[in-house]
Amino acid sequence: MTATHDQHGGHAAEGYPEHFEPPRGRAWTMAFGPGLVRGAWMALRVVGLGALLVVALRAWWGWSPYWDTHIVLVVGAMTAAPIGFLAGIGSFDYWLHYVSGRPTRPEDHSGHGARTWRDYFKVNTDHKVIGIQYLVTTFFFFTIGGLMAMLFRAELAQPGLQFVDSQTFNGLVSVHATLMIFLFIIPAFAGLANFAVPLMLGAPDMAFPRLNALSFWLLPIAGLMFLASFLVPGGAFASGWTAYAPLSEGQPMGQTFFNMGVQWAGASSIMTALNFLVTIITMRAPGMTFWRMPLLVWANFTTSLLVVIATPFIAGSQFFVMFDRIMHTDFFTPEGGGYVLGYQHIFWFYSHPAVYIMMLPGFGIVSEVISTMARKPIFGYRLMALSLIGILVLGFSVWAHHMFVAGMADWLRVPMMITTLLIAVPTGIKVFSWTATLWRGRIRLNTPMLFALGFVTMFVIGGLSGIYLGSVPIDIHASDTYFIVAHIHYVLFGGSVFTIFAGVYYWFPKMTGRMYDERLGKLHFWLTFVSFNATFFPMHYVGLRGMPRRVFDYAEAFGQLNFFISIASFVLGASFVIFVYNIVTSWTRGPVAESNPWRAHTLEWQVSSPPPIFNFDEIPQVVGGPYEYGVPGARHAVMSPAKEHVAEQEEVHA
Amino acid sequence: MRKGIVQLVAIGVGIGVVLTLVAVLFKWLPTSASEEFDRIQDLYWFATIISIGIFSLVTAVVVYSVWKWRVPDDDDADGPPIHGHTGLEILWTAVPAVLVIAIGVFSAVVLAQNGRAGDRPLEVEALGQQFAWKFTYSDFDDVASGELVLPLGREVRFTMRAVDVIHSFWVPNFGQKMDAVPGITTEILVTPTRLGEFAVVCAELCGLGHATMRAKARVVRPAEFEAWIEERQA
Repeated sequence: MTATHDQHGGHAAEGYPEHFEPPRGRAWTMAFGPGLVRGAWMALRVVGLGALLVVALRAWWGWSPYWDTHIVLVVGAMTAAPIGFLAGIGSFDYWLHYVSGRPTRPEDHSGHGARTWRDYFKVNTDHKVIGIQYLVTTFFFFTIGGLMAMLFRAELAQPGLQFVDSQTFNGLVSVHATLMIFLFIIPAFAGLANFAVPLMLGAPDMAFPRLNALSFWLLPIAGLMFLASFLVPGGAFASGWTAYAPLSEGQPMGQTFFNMGVQWAGASSIMTALNFLVTIITMRAPGMTFWRMPLLVWANFTTSLLVVIATPFIAGSQFFVMFDRIMHTDFFTPEGGGYVLGYQHIFWFYSHPAVYIMMLPGFGIVSEVISTMARKPIFGYRLMALSLIGILVLGFSVWAHHMFVAGMADWLRVPMMITTLLIAVPTGIKVFSWTATLWRGRIRLNTPMLFALGFVTMFVIGGLSGIYLGSVPIDIHASDTYFIVAHIHYVLFGGSVFTIFAGVYYWFPKMTGRMYDERLGKLHFWLTFVSFNATFFPMHYVGLRGMPRRVFDYAEAFGQLNFFISIASFVLGASFVIFVYNIVTSWTRGPVAESNPWRAHTLEWQVSSPPPIFNFDEIPQVVGGPYEYGVPGARHAVMSPAKEHVAEQEEVHA
Repeated sequence: MRKGIVQLVAIGVGIGVVLTLVAVLFKWLPTSASEEFDRIQDLYWFATIISIGIFSLVTAVVVYSVWKWRVPDDDDADGPPIHGHTGLEILWTAVPAVLVIAIGVFSAVVLAQNGRAGDRPLEVEALGQQFAWKFTYSDFDDVASGELVLPLGREVRFTMRAVDVIHSFWVPNFGQKMDAVPGITTEILVTPTRLGEFAVVCAELCGLGHATMRAKARVVRPAEFEAWIEERQA
């Protein structure tokens, strides 16, 4: 038993005498107590069980050969092993104890709070710890995805093949996109929201803390699965993150890692989203009506609805592809009666709403930052919330705009174009409202604000290129070219990633109790802003001029510009180093932050930095809107002033 | 206040002028070699004018606000508590709606024009197979060729099929693109208006050789085309 566990064991024994565990040695606990060690050996053990099951069943049915590596990998390594790992680290301990009638650990919330950095590597049910676990994990995968991008940008600096072979190139492109979408943008927002939303609601935690922990631990599984695909014969999955059938069906084994990795990442998203929905609906503090919720909460409410409704579709699409690959079904193979375009319809029915899953939380973050830093109420609060709902509803009616040149039914094009273009209306409302919030404000141009304003301008470019692509005739020319690559990076990098940076800087003092370095933050912003534009703006040009996407080789005419783009992308990569340096040094020895350095009104800033283990020493009573800046005497909530827990935190970090 | 408005407008116009120069001085689109692409280019410029307007407006307000109302980080006053303005909110809901509907109607018209086949277009079958295109002229005893040769000024209907995976037929100078999908046939119309050689590019990731799946398209005078066909038939 570790020191922590001894404490809880003792504590539990007092109140619940029937709950008794014999004292164990340190080595025993290391090997058999919940944790990464038990996770590792349990994962390995069930790989063996899975393999045995496959061989036994094949032998029983008389299928030769009994050993099929591909099937063994699917059953053993990609299905059983993750479950074994999750059981090993202790994700299921409480439930298994409960189900099997053994005494459960009393609800003493011993899993709450992180006392040392080691606690971040354990199953923890504290939403603040989970939020930070999410963020660190996602930035880890962001780094890997970024390095991959720089590798294939090096390849693209000249026409022809220089560094990697064709399959590796396609693999790098595919894994880059997959990591950035499933292991960075979507879960990074989930991480920020995990930290901020319960605090903003005045709740002690999420509604289902154990489910919350489980949904985090599914994430590294998905990430490692995507990365592991590089190690199998034939290399990583190489049919793009869109994995269109039938190309994906004829691919080597690596493709199956995508099919299954998406399942784990998707399950993680769905569980988190359900958790957010229940938390937001049922755990608001007294007086926190829907019309008093901060816009970040609104944004995560709508995002969670999108996730819950849409994500099963991508799971389905990948299962169908996998069944076609390993069970010889014919969902998407025309020879067997399958329908190729069916894949795209199912895939985009998730993947278009996924664009909003990757955007709406960012809208929320930016609303918080702009209102606070401009010291003004957000302009048109209700319309801001309603426009999120508008995007949610419209977002489900536009998927086929990804298929204007796919050969789908002609009549479907114009209606999909109209709904697509109409999304500009709620989005426009948001952009105009942010600019109106700036108007006559008292603007503090610090790092979060710089990223928020950078987002507003860059996102407008991404939105406008989206208008070009929404128009069917222009899309017929520009689809599948570098114009698309430029568009999605303006939306997802200039859009989502900028807001993630804004959010990380904004909540950094709240999360860590320390302040980041403002000068380095500004340097990071300007370097990122300039190199981002230098990298992605010229891509509009090469795309319209005739360069298709996902190619390692291209016409000589695009050589010079591609060289320029590659150099700019390396600068963009370098700018991230400044961010990492700033975060790491500030986290370890930055100046101690005040509890409310931005003088924000929302609830998370009314408690100490970092917040107490159960967030609020007393339940706050919400009495007004969240952004009543400049209104004399206005309060968002009534509660006693923040107790400074600084001294206590000093101990932890020492 | 009046001075402020003038300054704001000046910033907006300045940004707009710079963007217009960027849009005009660089040649963003390939030279059009088809009637269809001429129409698409008109639409492109219509969307570009609207885009420059909107981007200039938003950026001007952001730049102006930061320039006018920036305070030091340690300032602790608040701005005026303006919660909204119903008239403005209606305005910026209605105006973008009108603009996008205008783009939508224009697009629908262009799409309809580009999709309307005239009398007896030249029929060409395009077959995509990893990693090459094959063009079959069904009007002329199924003459087949790896090079696409088209007569000037005659409407061509491409009927596309794929053998193995999805490919996408694209001639950047024609501005027309369509996927070739296994199991179904798809169509696209092109009316070449310019003599010369153009690139045929595969635009949909189709495997290892996707990047090199290119072919040549040659637009020639009708008489030359007849001669080429005869030579092939022989």
